[in-house]
Amino acid sequence: MAFVEIKNVSYVYPLREGVSLKAIKNLSLQIEAGEFVALTGMNGSGKSTLAKLLNGLFKPSEGEILVDGISTSDDKRVFDIRKKVGMVFQNPDNQTVATIIEDDVAFGPENIGLPREEIVERVDSALEAVGMSEYRKKQSSKLSGGQKQRVAIAGVLAMRPEVLILDEATSMLDPAGREEVMAVVKKLNAQGITVINITHNMEEAALAKRVVALRKGRLAIDGTPSQVFSSGLLSSCGLALPPAAALAKDLKEQGVDICLATTEDSLVEGLCKLLK
Amino acid sequence: MQAVEIKNLSYIYSKKTPNEKLALDNIDLSVEEGSFVALIGATGSGKSTLIQHLNGLLVLQNKKRSSVTVNGMSAANKKTLRQLRYQVGMVFQYPEYQLFADTVEKDIAFGPKNMKLSAEEISERVKRAMEVVGLNYAEFAERSPFDLSGGEKRRVAIAGVIAMRPKILVLDEPVAGLDPIGRAELLSLIKKLQKEVSPTVILVSHNMDDVAALADRIIALKDGRIVADGTPKQVFGDRELVADAGLDIPAAARIVDKLAQRGIQLDKTIITMEELKAALLGLLGKTGTEKFQAATLFSDEVNAEERGDGSNSSESDPIERRSSSNENALSIEDGEGGGKDV
Repeated sequence: MAFVEIKNVSYVYPLREGVSLKAIKNLSLQIEAGEFVALTGMNGSGKSTLAKLLNGLFKPSEGEILVDGISTSDDKRVFDIRKKVGMVFQNPDNQTVATIIEDDVAFGPENIGLPREEIVERVDSALEAVGMSEYRKKQSSKLSGGQKQRVAIAGVLAMRPEVLILDEATSMLDPAGREEVMAVVKKLNAQGITVINITHNMEEAALAKRVVALRKGRLAIDGTPSQVFSSGLLSSCGLALPPAAALAKDLKEQGVDICLATTEDSLVEGLCKLLK
Repeated sequence: MQAVEIKNLSYIYSKKTPNEKLALDNIDLSVEEGSFVALIGATGSGKSTLIQHLNGLLVLQNKKRSSVTVNGMSAANKKTLRQLRYQVGMVFQYPEYQLFADTVEKDIAFGPKNMKLSAEEISERVKRAMEVVGLNYAEFAERSPFDLSGGEKRRVAIAGVIAMRPKILVLDEPVAGLDPIGRAELLSLIKKLQKEVSPTVILVSHNMDDVAALADRIIALKDGRIVADGTPKQVFGDRELVADAGLDIPAAARIVDKLAQRGIQLDKTIITMEELKAALLGLLGKTGTEKFQAATLFSDEVNAEERGDGSNSSESDPIERRSSSNENALSIEDGEGGGKDV
C-alpha cells in the first residue's frame, strides 16, 4: 500500500442553505513515501481542499484517505495524522504564534512534550534549514513576508513530519527566497521526507519528480514534468508552460527542430546543438 | 507634470532600539504623470516603506530635511492629507484580505462614501469600477465577497480602490498567488486601468518578466537606496549594473546569457520571450519573423486559455471573457473559494 492512499474521495462545502459546492469529485491517487509531487491546477481546482483533506483538517464527504495506513476519518487518530503530515500555508501571518522567532519554531515540539535538549536541537536545525538562524532572537513582527514564511516552514520542520505539504508557500517570496526554500525542500526530500508542493508556478512544478494537475476537482494529468509539459493538456487545466518550455514549443511550431524543454538549461542545450 | 516628488527621504524603523534598521537612505525620486513605474528590489530593500510614504501611511521622520509631494500636495500637510489619500490608490498584497462588507456593492462603495459623494455619484462609481475590473453588476453586486473565488475577490478589492478614482495607482505584488490565467488577466487589467482611470501606475513586483513587459521605467532599490533607474532595456541590458545591484533579470535575458556562455551571442537588450523568439528565428534562418504580431507575454498566456476553452474564443478582451464565463451561475468548480482564507 502507498504511504498516502486517496480512494474515491469527494468533498462538498456547504455554502449556505440549499447551496453546496463539490470541490473534489471522486478522486483517487496514490503517493509513495519519499516522492516529490507538485500538485497544480488553477484557482478553484481543488488543490488546497485536497491538502486539507490529507492531514485531517477536512474529512472526505465520500471515500477514504489513508496516511501510513491510518484513515483521516478516524477521529481518534487525527493527531497521529497531523504529526505525520506537516503543512505550510500561503499566508505566514496566520501561522505565527510567538513573538520571538525561536519560540515560534519551538511551539510544536513543546506541545508534544519533548525534552528540552531535543527541542533546542530541533529548533536549531529547522532554523538552519531555512537560513534563518541569525534571526532566532528577533521578533517575528519585524520580519518581511518572505522571512516570516521561512520561519513558518521551520516551525513545521521542527515537528519532523513524514510528509511536508506546501500550500503555495513560496508565492509571496522573492526569487531568491523562493530558490532558497525550494533548495531546502529538495534537500529534505533527498533525506526522505515526502513532499507535496502546491503551486501554480510551473518552473517550480518542474522541480518535482511528478506533477499532478487537478481540473474542477478531478484528476486531469499525472506524470513526470516532461510528460506533463508535452501532453498539451496544461492549458485545459488553466495552466501555462514555463517560459522556456513555451519558447521551445513556439520554435518547434515555426519549424525549428528542437525538443520540448522543461527548463531553461535544457532549452539552451537544444539551441546550442542547432546553432553550433 | 510630476505626479510624485520625493526629496531626501530617509526612514528608520525602531529608532534608538537594538532593532534599529535604516529602511530608506536619502531617496530622491520624481515620477512623471502618465508613467508606468516598476519598483523592484529584494525583500527588505525598502519598497514597501517607500510606497507607504506616498499617501502618508508612514509619516516623514524629518520634516525639515525630507519632503514627499504628490500632485503638488505635501504628504506632511495634515490639511490636505485626506485629499492626497483620495489621489493615491493603494492596492496592498493580498488585498482580498481587506474585504469586509456583506455585499460586493457595499464593499466597493466604502471608499466613495467616505469621500462624502452623493448617492447617485457613489452608485455610478461602483458600477463603473465593477465594469472596469470585469465584474458583471447584475450578477455580483448583491453577492457576499466571501463567497467568491480568489481572483474575483481580488478584483472586488481593486474595484474598491479605483472607485475613488485615484490619479496614482500603487500596486504591491498584485498577482501574487493567482494562477497563470488569473495573472495574465490582472496584468492586462492594470494596463487598462492606467488608460481609463489612473494615469500613473507604480507596480511593486518581484517578477522581472512582468516588469520587462509592462513598465516604461524601472526603479531598483537595494538596502534603502536607488541603485538603478531607467527603461527596462537600459536597466536589464546593463549586466554590470544588474550584478552590482543584485537584481534578477527576465527569463529571456537569462537565456541570452546562458547562450553567450556557450559562444552564441545575442543582443543583451533582449528582455521578453517574443524578442528572444524573433532573434533566435533570425539566427536559425527561419523567415517567419514578420509573422509575429507585437504580442506581449500576456497575450500568449491568454491564448492558452482560448485553447482550453474554445467556446469563448471570439472575444478579444480576456477580462470580458472571464466575466462572461462567470455568468454560468454559481460555478461548482470553485472548490477553493471557501477554503482559501480559513
